[in-house]
Parts: sequence; C-alpha cells; structure tokens
Amino acid sequence: MIDASLRTPLTALIASSVVWLLIASVLGIISAWKLHTPAFLEACEYVTYGRIQPAQTNAFLYGWGFNAAFAVSLWLMARLSRGALPGGGMLLLGVLFWNAGVTLGIGGIILGFSTSIEWLEMPGFASPLLLVAYALIASWSLVVFRAGRSHQIYASQWYLIAALFWFPWIYSIAQVMLVFSPVRGTVQSVVHAWFTSNLVLLYFASIALAAVYYFLPKLLLKTVSNYYLASLSFWWLVIFGSWAGVSRLIGGPVPAWVQTVGAAASFMLIVPLVILSMNFFGTLSGRWSSLKDNGTLRFTVFGVVAFSLVLLAWVLTSLHGIAALTQFTYVTAAQAQLGLYGFFSMVVFGALYYIVPRVLSTEWASVPLASLHFWASALGVVLLVGSLTAGGITQGNLLADASVAFTAVTKATLPYLFTAVVALVILAIGQLAFALNFFWTLSRASAPAVRSVKDLLAVQPEATR
Amino acid sequence: MNRAPLLFLGVFSALAFSFVGLVLTNQLTYGSFTTHVDEDEGNAFPLQLPGAAAQGKLVYQDLGCVSCHTQQVRREGFGPDIGEHSRGWGERQSVARDYLREERVLLGSQRVGPDLRNLAARKNAAGADFTADWLYRYIFDPKLVAAESSMPRYAFLFKTQKIVGQPSPKALALPEPYAPEAGHEIVPTARGEALVAYLLSLKDTYAYPETKNVYTPPEPKAGEKKEGHE
Repeated sequence: MIDASLRTPLTALIASSVVWLLIASVLGIISAWKLHTPAFLEACEYVTYGRIQPAQTNAFLYGWGFNAAFAVSLWLMARLSRGALPGGGMLLLGVLFWNAGVTLGIGGIILGFSTSIEWLEMPGFASPLLLVAYALIASWSLVVFRAGRSHQIYASQWYLIAALFWFPWIYSIAQVMLVFSPVRGTVQSVVHAWFTSNLVLLYFASIALAAVYYFLPKLLLKTVSNYYLASLSFWWLVIFGSWAGVSRLIGGPVPAWVQTVGAAASFMLIVPLVILSMNFFGTLSGRWSSLKDNGTLRFTVFGVVAFSLVLLAWVLTSLHGIAALTQFTYVTAAQAQLGLYGFFSMVVFGALYYIVPRVLSTEWASVPLASLHFWASALGVVLLVGSLTAGGITQGNLLADASVAFTAVTKATLPYLFTAVVALVILAIGQLAFALNFFWTLSRASAPAVRSVKDLLAVQPEATR
Repeated sequence: MNRAPLLFLGVFSALAFSFVGLVLTNQLTYGSFTTHVDEDEGNAFPLQLPGAAAQGKLVYQDLGCVSCHTQQVRREGFGPDIGEHSRGWGERQSVARDYLREERVLLGSQRVGPDLRNLAARKNAAGADFTADWLYRYIFDPKLVAAESSMPRYAFLFKTQKIVGQPSPKALALPEPYAPEAGHEIVPTARGEALVAYLLSLKDTYAYPETKNVYTPPEPKAGEKKEGHE
C-alpha cells in the first residue's frame, strides 16, 4: 500500500532523473572531448567549453542527482516511517516545476546567461523556481514522516531529515549572497566553498548514506555492526563536515583562520570515516559472497568503498603540502566524480534497482541489461577517477616545475584526458542500458503508472481510499 | 535518538553553527572591508573597472572562461605562482582587498590554462607586454601568436566587414591562410573588444599595507634540508 501510494510521483521523478542522466552524459562526452581536442566544435559559441561543461555539471547535479535523490529519499522515508503518501498532486506539480527550472537554467547557461559561479551557474531567473519546487517535493517526506506509524527513528531517517533541511538553507543563502545581492569581495568565495562542500557532504552524501544504512542490513538480513556508533558519526559528520569545505580555499585570498579551520575540520572527517567503515564493512564481513547474486548490493558496496576513498582523499588534499600540488588540477575533478558518481550515483542506482520493481509491482524487464549497467559503471568510474587523478598529479608536478613550459604541461595531460573520454563513453553505455531497462520495465508494468489527469490531481489517491 | 524534536533541533543547530561561524563571521569581519585611499596617488585602490572592461567581464562570465582560468595568485612558497623559480604569475600574492570592487569574484578552481589575475602586468611568451593587438590575434586563433597553445579559437568574437574608406585601426593583421578576401578586413565585435579591455585591466600591482608584510618561507640554512624533517 505504501509503495502503491508512491507509484505516480516516484515514476515521474525516476523517469526525469534517467532522462537527465542521459543528457548529462552526452554533454559530458562533448565537454571531455573538447578538453582533449579544443578545436572540436570551436566555431559554435553555444558549445564553448566554458558553457558546455557547466551545463553538464548542472544537468548531472540538479537534473539527475536531485530527481533521483527525491525519489530515493521519499521512498525510504515512507518505508521507514511506515506511512503512505497522502495525495500526490502537489508533489507532481513540484516535479514539473523542478524540471522546468533545470531546463530553463541549463538553457540559460548554453545561451550565455551563466553566473560563472561553479555549481550555481544557473541564471537568477531559474533558481527561485527550483526553491519553490523543492518545497513542493521535499515537504512530502516530512508529511510521510509525521504520518508514519513507526516509533523508531532509524539512522537512515537522521540523514534524510538533515539533508531535507539543509539544502534549502544552503541554496537560498548561496543565491542571495552570491547572485541576487552579492557580498563584498572574497566573502563570496567563502560562501561558495561552504555551499559546494555542503551540497556534496551534507546533501548528496546524506541521501546516499541513508540508502546504505537501509539496504545493507536489509539485503544481508542482519543488523548493522556497531550500530551504537552510528549516531556519533552522524553528529560528527554534520558538525565538522559543514566546516570542512573551506579547506579548498587554502592559499587563497581569504583570512588565514578560515583556511586553517577548514583544514582542521577536514582532518576531523577521519572519525566518521572510521565509524562508517566499521558500520558498513563490519556488516559485510563474512558475507561478501552475497554480492554475487544481488544487483542492489553490488552497487551499494561499490558506493561504500568509493565513499571511504572520498573521505580519505578529502583529508589528504586538505593537508598543506598536498594541497599545494593538487589544487587547481584534475585531481579536484577526480574527487568530485568519485563522490558524485562513484558514491552517490552508484548507491542510488542500487536503491533504484530495489525500488522500481516494488513501486511498479513488476520485475525488471532485463537482468543482463542490469548487469551490463553495473559492470560498465564500475569500470567507467574506476577508469575515469583513475585517469583524472593520475593526470592531475602529473599536471600538478609539472606545473610546480617552472622550467616546464605551460603548453608542455597541457600536452602531458592529453593521454589522461583521452582515457577520461573513453571512461565517459563506457559510463554512457551503462546508463543507456539502465534507461532502456527502466522504460522497458515501465511499459510492461501491469497497472499504468499514470491513469488520467484526474488521478494526478486527486487529493486522495488509491492508497488512502 | 528516537525523539524527533531533538533530532530537528540538533540538525538545525549543526548547520546554524557553521553558518554563523563561517558565513556570518566572515561577512561581519571583512564583508565591510574598505578600499585603500592613497593620498599620494589621489586614488582609492583597487581601482574601479573602466566601463568597457566591466562589460568585458560579463563576456568573460557568459563564455565561462573561469572553467579553465583561475584568478588568484597564491603566496610565495605555496605552489609555483610567484617568487624565484616560479611561473611569475604575479608581483605579489592576491589578497582579499584586490577583489573588493568585484560584483562577482571569479577565483576559479581549474588551471587548464594559466592564471589571469595579473595578466596585463605580465610579459607574453615572447617577452613583450600583452597588447590589445596581441590579445585580439590570440583570441581569434591562439596558434597565430603562440604555436603551442591549446586554447580553442574564439573566432565568433570577430567579424569580417567590407573596408569602407580607411581600414579600421582594429583590423587584425593576419597571415595568408587567414587573411580575408581583398577589400575586406577582420575586426573584433563589440564583445571581443570588451573582453580584451577586461583582460588588459587585470593588473594587481598596487602594494597595499597588508601585502608588504606577508609571510615568506625562510631561506634554508646551508646544510639543512628545506622541509626540516629527516
């Protein structure tokens, strides 16, 4: 009944996320190829690297990432609170607004209205729409939470509730202080670093961690090891994680204490790294063979390993000596990919493999396609992150040696950039398999996901009737 | 952790803590930082961008130049930006005051191309100052002036027009394969001109009081390793 109440909104969210994922991967291949061969499509202003690359990032973050995060968090919250969704008309309106906002924003970037603020490039005429849509979508998670009959609040729910509150806060602050009424000078840079790192660590990572805390024990049929430590790592992550982002400003024109505090807070991330590893790998120990026959578990475990590496890399690149080398190189891009693709997206893929058949009350149309999706994604992520890291280290080392001409540095990174393009193509193959599989499953679902317009706008859909 | 109100309160205070600590504190402590009035020069630094350059900055933003170019010079000893055996990207490190008048601060996070913070005060690869003409040709096709460059061409910032009367002083002097047909010339569009005006305004050469007393790593003593560790 809970799943049935979620059918229509979740179908809409997942379908839009999948479409955005494909769009982002096409844009990603174009922009990566332009990085390798700058002459590619250079005559056309609309696909300049400086526009296509932000368009790609925004399509991935706000198109794929948020739609998928909404779907997963809503489903998890409903499941864990044991509450059905009362009516979904407003939610669907929210989905419509959100996707309209993202379309408008990305169109704006391509047409030259970019704000040139990393991850916030969408012009000012699109972002308020996103906030409104967010309110319309995310508040339903709270409604479900309140309506639920469960008296336990599980670890997944802590992360979901936290993520739910933090995004509108950081996003509205960033919009006001950077776009609508910009603060003076490099205070902007501090606000920006605060926003981007919190978006990764406190929004996307929270949603994915919520999914891991749910699926690992659920699929292994055992409790989380050392669960009593989970609350410590939660509070530690939210308190220090929200300060850790400014470490990317090391060496920049901001007060020295900001850089130092950022580096110290980043170092503190070792604690959640240890606890989360104890929770997750402890639960997994002795059960690795379960990975063989469970798609969701494979994706989830891949994500968990990636997350440990993300935190480790975060700690390392905040160290003064390493930052001097890796700052402004492809290493930072590799870190972002590891977090957003290797961790968040992989965990979410795993969750969707579990959620979709339940919500549509049917089986996945094709098992081989799902398997192709996993192997292509795993290989693609390893290759992409590996090549960008190796390329970035080469780039950093050569840049540090002033006797090497700048153009020689660029040349030295070319093979790595080529490998990155290959990795993106492999990833795209996996995503295509996923999209095909999803829409195939959707078309086979016994009950149509959307019956009529009246259904969409009904205040009391079938679930509560 | 089974009480929802406590959870909500905790989640709220955690972010409030970092919001107050990082965002508000910085806004209060140096969000009202003022320009440095130099009575000898009769001017307040940093200088206001001239109109054409301010428009050029919008072009810089809409083309997303920040995707590949940073605009911050890191301090000596931290990265290869300035100092001895460095890339010479500035005369001094960038400080907060440099960005005071900028409505949008474009520090950047990738150095696919070189840093541009102090471009106009630097020398190009041939050892000469950057001139408008050099930049026009570079943006039209980087290979014209720097054979090894891997920047893409931005030919769409230029137009071919018929020469009416005297040739335009801004017309690009182009070698054979690029030269337009007889009676025509290639000139920058308004956006191209604005962009170059902006690039030529990128100059952090004024020494503020705070840039005169920055930490520079001590010279290693003879026989001692630079890092100080064994």
